[in-house]
Amino acid sequence: MSLYSAIKRAKDYAAERFPIEKLNFHSMVEKKEVPVHRLSWGYYLGGAALFFLLVQIVTGLMLLFYYQPTVSDAHASVEYISDYVVGGALVRNMHSWSSSMMIACVIAHLLTAFAMKAFEKPREITWLTGVGLLFLTFGFGFTGYLLPWNQIAVNATKIGLQSIEQVGQYLPGQMAQWPRAIRETIQGEAAVGQATLSRFYAIHVIVLPFALAALLGLHLFSVQLHGMSRGVEDPPRRQEKFFPMFLIKDLSVWGVAFFLLFLMALCLPFESFSPYPLFEAFDPNGSTPDGIKPEWYFYFVYYPLELLPFGVILVGSGLAMLMLLLTPWLFRSTSRKTLRILALVGAAYFLGMTLFGEDIYHIFKGGGQ
Amino acid sequence: MIDAFLLVGLPYLALAVCVIGVIWRWKTQAFSWSSLSSQFLEARQLRWGSTPWHLGILVVLLGHGLAFAFPRVWESLMSHPTLLVIAETVGLGAGAMALAGLVVLAFRRLASGRVQAVTSTMDLVVLALLFFQVLLGVLTALLYRWGASWSTTTVVPYFWSLVLLQPDSSLVADLPPVVKAHLVGAWLILLAVPFSRLVHVLALPLSYLWRAPQIVIWSSPRRAAKMVREQRVQESRREFLKGAAGVAVAGSLLSLGVLEKLARFFQGPKLAGEMETVLLTKRLHRIRMTAEEQALQLERQKSTRILIGRLSELSSSKGKYFIDFNMAPALAFLDANGLPLLISAKCTHLGCTVGSEVNAQGQILCPCHISYFTITTGEPNVGAPAKTPLPHLEWVVVDASGKDLAHRGSSGAIQGSLQGVPPEACSVYVARPTEEAS
Repeated sequence: MSLYSAIKRAKDYAAERFPIEKLNFHSMVEKKEVPVHRLSWGYYLGGAALFFLLVQIVTGLMLLFYYQPTVSDAHASVEYISDYVVGGALVRNMHSWSSSMMIACVIAHLLTAFAMKAFEKPREITWLTGVGLLFLTFGFGFTGYLLPWNQIAVNATKIGLQSIEQVGQYLPGQMAQWPRAIRETIQGEAAVGQATLSRFYAIHVIVLPFALAALLGLHLFSVQLHGMSRGVEDPPRRQEKFFPMFLIKDLSVWGVAFFLLFLMALCLPFESFSPYPLFEAFDPNGSTPDGIKPEWYFYFVYYPLELLPFGVILVGSGLAMLMLLLTPWLFRSTSRKTLRILALVGAAYFLGMTLFGEDIYHIFKGGGQ
Repeated sequence: MIDAFLLVGLPYLALAVCVIGVIWRWKTQAFSWSSLSSQFLEARQLRWGSTPWHLGILVVLLGHGLAFAFPRVWESLMSHPTLLVIAETVGLGAGAMALAGLVVLAFRRLASGRVQAVTSTMDLVVLALLFFQVLLGVLTALLYRWGASWSTTTVVPYFWSLVLLQPDSSLVADLPPVVKAHLVGAWLILLAVPFSRLVHVLALPLSYLWRAPQIVIWSSPRRAAKMVREQRVQESRREFLKGAAGVAVAGSLLSLGVLEKLARFFQGPKLAGEMETVLLTKRLHRIRMTAEEQALQLERQKSTRILIGRLSELSSSKGKYFIDFNMAPALAFLDANGLPLLISAKCTHLGCTVGSEVNAQGQILCPCHISYFTITTGEPNVGAPAKTPLPHLEWVVVDASGKDLAHRGSSGAIQGSLQGVPPEACSVYVARPTEEAS
């Protein structure tokens, strides 16, 4: 293959993904239509995730005015926000609840997009940026979890980082030391401490938001450019205008979402589902308290990690990630029906591990309490 | 004598005439039960007269009625200076409004030929009665301030004495002539009720509150059609304005509330001195803890051995936590031979801190993923998530004079013995790990 034909192919590829003739307001907004069929509800999930992201940005900025990212002050400043600042508890609860809701929406969005074959040509870029956004979202969850510097946060982060080091045992020779080096680079010192807090803070507040803004821009741009994917095998009988009909419906969903979020944030402190001492300030000299668990959205890797040998998880999650990234090409000619079944299996796995992970753990390991 | 008639006789007379007269009128002239609207004769001045008059007089009557009906409640309310000022201001304002309305109405009745055509003598009498009555009321409010309060010990008991058929005019006998005239005016108006348009006071057309507004007009087909058209336009405009105003008010209230909260969020809390002290104490404590941590780190950099405690403080059933040379938690136990046993407490699985309680099998538990470690060997139990043993640490036991009695080297061999020195006199140190020979 000559260089010329290679360049031409690359040009054609890009032209198909970013059609110049469609780069205008008319085709991206005015002409855009949304198919109406029995899976149409899936079209609202991405928007809902975007809404919770906006809530995260606003509440996050508000928290930033009071939060202090130092080992000595982090926990006290979070307590100060919840106990003394007017509306501080509400803002903090909204930030935590909205993070959970955002991740739930993102995962549902992933599954429905998969089931609707929304990654089909020419939407590969949309899918890939979506997968990138998924990782960023989990990154937000992981880094944000440490910031209150309480027992559960620090200990869970320790365990999470330590599992990087576990990879070392499967690597040959000198490479066995690399994961340890990686872990220490991430945490900035030998143990989780001030350096880790500073780094996680920087990542949570600056690095990830910028990365997210870039990827999200590309993601939304592609969505508007290519329009909604058809979603079902037979051409849908009815379409509705994106602007203003679908947009208004989307905004109504946002309204309901805000109402639910506000109600939850007002009535349920985020901590109410975990035993009390886990939210005490981290004590470097005491023993690790019982019941250290990651956030619910990590259960789907956490419980298998508890049950199976580390190597199996390593290979399994590596394959899963590879599959996610290669989805547009792996499932190019799979029918939507099969994709729906696969998505259902995925959803069942995620829900099962999230809701019944602990029970499954006790069934296999015994000693349920 | 004249007082007795005006303040006792007249009221009963007025009341009797009013009751009998009203019944008589209801029985004989039910259809005259009206104030005989003259709106279709003249509407503009009526609007500017009737509306303030009725609004004003309703508020004033409500105030009078409350004071008479619930004297105790009213009195206790009026003992509150703020409420008294509010009641006086509202009452005077409403009275002035009613008076202004009456002036407009009187002018209209005297100036408009059309209205005069339907004006009876009784209408003029009623107008005059009401005008003087309201004027006297306003004068009372202006000249004899705080009537809302002083009336509770004069006029109200007088009123109740009449109601309870034990009339006592002495309660109001000493009041100024203006106030007395106001009282007499009230009874005269009562007397006039059955014989005038005032009977409409006794009708309570509640349905007016929600029925569509009606306008009385000359009936001519062309004009009626025009009025209907105008009415419809006005209606829809009114509905729109009502809706828009509702949305605007709700929206601005909501944003006002949100903005207020936002402003207060960024303003930060205003703490009382005591609270500030609590917060500062807490902060200082945390900073001290951090400082201690860093002091420990420095100590580990500088010295080759670090004190854990007296040998007598150690126990074989519960470990004592300390921080080892890797800044990781470790536990100190008493071994079977009376010497210390130092073991790392950082789980070899995922780095949790192992618990300090020794169970019956001589094991300590890592709570994170349930690994039991035997303290004498450091080995985890079979099938535990942790695969490698917890390492033992090197230690030195020193007597009171600072002489090394015994120590454990990197190979695990113990050299020396306590030589009979009591454990209370022995200090246990963790030693900096010697460079691994292997």
